[in-house]
Amino acid sequence: MCRHKESKYGNIIFVILLLIGVFFIAGRLTSPVKLIKNLVYYISYPTLRTADCIFRSMGTFADNVKAIVYMHRENIVFKQKNQELNDKLRNYNSISEECNNLSRLLKLTKIKNIIYVFAGISFGASDERYQWCILDKGGADGLYNELPVAMLNKENDILCAAGKIIETHKTSSKVVLITDSISVIPVEIKDKGINCLAEGSNSSLLKITYIPSDADVKPGDEIVVSGLSAVFQKGMPVGVITEVSEGASADFKTAAAKVFYENNIFNKVVVLVPQKQ
Amino acid sequence: MKKLISYLFLYFVFCMLQFFFGRYISVYGIFPNFILIFVVYLGLSKGIINAQLMGFLFGLTWDVFSTDIFGIRTVMFTAIGYLAGRFCKDFDREKIFTQIVIIFFASTVYWLGFGLIYFIFPDNGNCAFSFSILSVSSKIVVTAMFAPLVFYILEKMDIIRGPRGTTDR
Repeated sequence: MCRHKESKYGNIIFVILLLIGVFFIAGRLTSPVKLIKNLVYYISYPTLRTADCIFRSMGTFADNVKAIVYMHRENIVFKQKNQELNDKLRNYNSISEECNNLSRLLKLTKIKNIIYVFAGISFGASDERYQWCILDKGGADGLYNELPVAMLNKENDILCAAGKIIETHKTSSKVVLITDSISVIPVEIKDKGINCLAEGSNSSLLKITYIPSDADVKPGDEIVVSGLSAVFQKGMPVGVITEVSEGASADFKTAAAKVFYENNIFNKVVVLVPQKQ
Repeated sequence: MKKLISYLFLYFVFCMLQFFFGRYISVYGIFPNFILIFVVYLGLSKGIINAQLMGFLFGLTWDVFSTDIFGIRTVMFTAIGYLAGRFCKDFDREKIFTQIVIIFFASTVYWLGFGLIYFIFPDNGNCAFSFSILSVSSKIVVTAMFAPLVFYILEKMDIIRGPRGTTDR
């Protein structure tokens, strides 16, 4: 009897939750749903960040306790000093690496009237790494929607187009990457002046479309942002063509291009903020 | 109260696992869907209500950060929690083969539902056909392979279980 009652409640709750979900989907562009979305974001983002910090602190705490117990078995003073030096060395290595990365970023040619805002990637779902990410800087740092986001290509130390900000909150912002399937940017083949489009495919490859069928495009050609882009600066590197294939249309062919930021391991991005006059 | 705290703790743990640690251990963007495994585990061990409520909460959180259609994961995780609690309650969840098969089917249902919703509500031209079959099938297989490990850990932790044998079903 009790089981039957539970099952009945389960069905009712399921229908209610499903209706709420369908309401979210159907009304995703309406103000009430956006309001709910922002509300949940404002609650969950700081909570998850704090929880992450606590978890990391717990890990550090556990390491320290373990180290102290071990040192008591041996020579306490000697082991303690050894541990401190190891910790310092670890910190030095990470700081040194960070310093090198930042130095490389600072050596980049400065684009006139642009302020570089360096931001860290707070988090992102790993199976959607080519779709979106959340930055740890937001409106309080001068960021706003539609700003271009660039990452460093480790091989040749150049800033390459990575995405744009689509949602800005006080201390965080959401970036949609150029590899997201909802992204399309106008590009051109470097030094050849052939205009085409780069469409995202939720992977590290971009689909380059609308290449004239008689155009001389081959694997290894670099693609850069064209002057038609409203978000990125003209000439900003995007990727390199890996494969060219004849399209379904007789007038155009398509190609696949690998994005430059694929090997970016810094977990850092640069937001290019136009300087106000 | 203790149960609520346990659920909140697990909510944070799985959010951490899915959103923060993925960047260190994913291979070519292929990463198991721990949240899906947890929702199915709840469905099998705790019954429909807990599974679908946690599924709803996880889905909503993921949707807020994702660029996909808002609400898509809310619906899918809720539905999977319900289906797992409704139809899989008679399976022996302690058998590794059963765990893999159930998670495999749950994951398949998840992606099919994903595609169906994209088909019904096309979002700026980003439709179901843009999913890579290879990528989706790898994710399904990897998720199914990780299921026994997650089930084992959850069984060992045992923090959301009442007296043995009592569930919310």
